[in-house]
Amino acid sequence: MLGFGGEREAVSKVGLSAADLVAARLREPAAVTRIYTAYAPALFRFFMASVGDRHLAEDLTGNTFVSAIEGLPKFRGPVEALGGWLFQIARHDLYDHRRKQSRSRIESLDENLTEATRTDATVDPEELAIDRLEGSRVLVAMRELSPDQREVLMLRMAGGMTAPEVATVLGKTTGAVKALQHRGLASLARVLGLRSPDETQERPYPSPDPGRLTSQEDEER
Amino acid sequence: MNINRPRPNKLHDELDALLDGRPVELTDELAPLAEAAESLRAELATYQLDPGVADHHLERVLEGSGTVVQLPVRGPAGDWEVRRRVVAVALAAALVLAPATIASAAALPGQAMYPFKLAIEQLRIASVQWSSGREAGERTRVAHARLQEFQSLVKLKMFTQVPGALRALEQAVVAAQAAVAEARADGERVGSVEARLTEVRAAGGQVAEQVRVAAANGSIDLTNGTRQAVQAAVQQSQDVLPPPGREAVPTKGTPTPTTDESPPNTAPSETNPPLTSGPQTTNPPPTNPPTSGPQTTNPPPTDPPTSTNPPTTDTVAPETGEDEPGSGSDKAGSEERTAEGNVPPTTAPPAP
Repeated sequence: MLGFGGEREAVSKVGLSAADLVAARLREPAAVTRIYTAYAPALFRFFMASVGDRHLAEDLTGNTFVSAIEGLPKFRGPVEALGGWLFQIARHDLYDHRRKQSRSRIESLDENLTEATRTDATVDPEELAIDRLEGSRVLVAMRELSPDQREVLMLRMAGGMTAPEVATVLGKTTGAVKALQHRGLASLARVLGLRSPDETQERPYPSPDPGRLTSQEDEER
Repeated sequence: MNINRPRPNKLHDELDALLDGRPVELTDELAPLAEAAESLRAELATYQLDPGVADHHLERVLEGSGTVVQLPVRGPAGDWEVRRRVVAVALAAALVLAPATIASAAALPGQAMYPFKLAIEQLRIASVQWSSGREAGERTRVAHARLQEFQSLVKLKMFTQVPGALRALEQAVVAAQAAVAEARADGERVGSVEARLTEVRAAGGQVAEQVRVAAANGSIDLTNGTRQAVQAAVQQSQDVLPPPGREAVPTKGTPTPTTDESPPNTAPSETNPPLTSGPQTTNPPPTNPPTSGPQTTNPPPTDPPTSTNPPTTDTVAPETGEDEPGSGSDKAGSEERTAEGNVPPTTAPPAP
């Protein structure tokens, strides 16, 4: 028997009550602190695993939390749904950040190219990115996963959410989330060398079998 | 290697249970997945939020609360904000609509401002639909407006517009009757509204009948098509807009008649079903005796009598039949008609 409940339970069993929610809506410091303490570590891990930059992840965590507390009066769900709602904001902030990043990249491409010729040739941007994930063999392996698989595993493992909660955040069915996390972990195991080669060939992904491919697609829907 | 693997869904469920920390038998299939999950979890566990950063985040949030101290009253403030916006929109709408409303008030069918007038009426109805009593009042007001248009068209000899105006009046009366019935069912006091609607029906029926007679005897110059259209429209409207001397036929939405309206022995005669001579024999109006002939005699249907006491918009015409004028004199009716077919001025009936 094996279980991975410790980290997740620490987030899900946060001991928040409806009264905390009401008080946090009124921005009572104690209630806000309790909510922050309950969810900020998970949010930070989610951002950290997504962007690979500590400072950026900290900023995103802070921004998400500020947005969430400001938007709390609009949150009408039960306190149990607060985590899912927070991660929806987190996803939105992450996508927003990525969109801005890609836009600024396009806009400053010429500038950067000019600057790159002037900078030290020993500083390779790709190396910098890898340095960000230093020691993170697993996170580098995560890059091999499809975006959907990666996101499910991030929310599940970093966010400490259950499959139904992840399904709510992503707007998918629970079955689709379970299928994605299964295939994601299978791919991760393969990349990390945790599965024997013959086993990986036994069920390649995506499946060359059209019938199986269809069923996989159906599961992901 | 396990050839007979469990169905994918079962494997998904087992893996999910494993990730949730529920007890699951660790099969060969699950083992590498569990190991990968454990690696990922261990990796993620190394990312800890710096306490200084956490303090800074909380500071930001609580700083925000310092600047937004009024959060506790934000709920009511939101309501107030909505009300303020509604008032602002209403004021803006009033500023825009008021001149147009005034300009369109006297518009007649076929005129440029007439659609605008109808739109404003619909807006007014929509604005009072929260109260069935007010809606009944507003719909009755609309019916009265249709009546005035109808009268104006006749006065202006715009007979080509008359059939349409008569149909519009009929529809407005039916809608008002339905609204009155609904309001009464809701327990609203709609006595005065109902009385006003009765006046509208009576006056509309009177004018319509005069137009029909004038069109029939050629006292107004009409093309054949217009004449037929007018006569057909009047004929069709008679259930809703009863001609003078004829009891109103309850239409859809009309409240249940009182016992005076339809006593068992007051069935209409075969020769002239629409005319109601029956009630007068059993319950004659004491202050309004017939001017000619016995009451059982029905006048010819093509030239029905004009009541000696025609209902006007100034009076409440009785619906119950108690004060039904009954069959008036043909002579009197024909005498009241003008050569041009104009509607003669109506006179207020004597008090019963």
